Amino acid sequence: MDHITICRCEEVTLEDIKNTAKKYQCSAREIKLRTRAGMGYCGGRTCRPAVDAVMEQVTGEKPGHDIPLKVQPPVRPVSLATLRGMQDDK
Amino acid sequence: MTNNRRIVDHPVLGKLSDRKEITFTYDGQTYTGYEGDTIASALLANGVRTLRVHEESGKPRGIYCNIGHCFECRVTVNNETGVRACLTEIKDQMVVESGRVLPSPLASTEHDTLPRTYAEFVKQQEEEKGEV
Repeated sequence: MDHITICRCEEVTLEDIKNTAKKYQCSAREIKLRTRAGMGYCGGRTCRPAVDAVMEQVTGEKPGHDIPLKVQPPVRPVSLATLRGMQDDK
Repeated sequence: MTNNRRIVDHPVLGKLSDRKEITFTYDGQTYTGYEGDTIASALLANGVRTLRVHEESGKPRGIYCNIGHCFECRVTVNNETGVRACLTEIKDQMVVESGRVLPSPLASTEHDTLPRTYAEFVKQQEEEKGEV
């Protein structure tokens, strides 16, 4: 169970998150900075709810939008060519 | 081309035999798909499930969300990197390449012993001085 990969972009397992949360008693944001969960290519859009859920279980931190794991623009990764209007956004 | 991984007669989408065949290459090998296929679906029908490997660990990656959300299936298409195989339709003579392991200059075996803060660094220095 603990070997489940939570963040696929950065290969962070449930075990990594649980151990880090227990060792440092930290917030979801600190988990992100320590383990890189949610900092990969997809921008955390895939694993963020899972990280929040794990944190709620381990430290009792409720997912919120004030500091922990807030969503930053751009909501989708876009290429510079798209921003310049060189091609249609797919 | 065998179609044992495809629905050959669909009540809504029609017969597979009515659709136009398209050839494309994936990692130098030529594959056949049908018009309207995405890169991921065409490769899946050909039995290819690994679309890339993780840049650092080399573990295989393929279709995960299949709706363009997770970027797990990103491939290089005609030299354009980061193209989602699950959303991109195949075109004739398209050149698709998988993601490979990248060199990792930051791989370190002693990251546990390195100081995390300046205070720890100073402490380590003093300890080393004390030993000498």
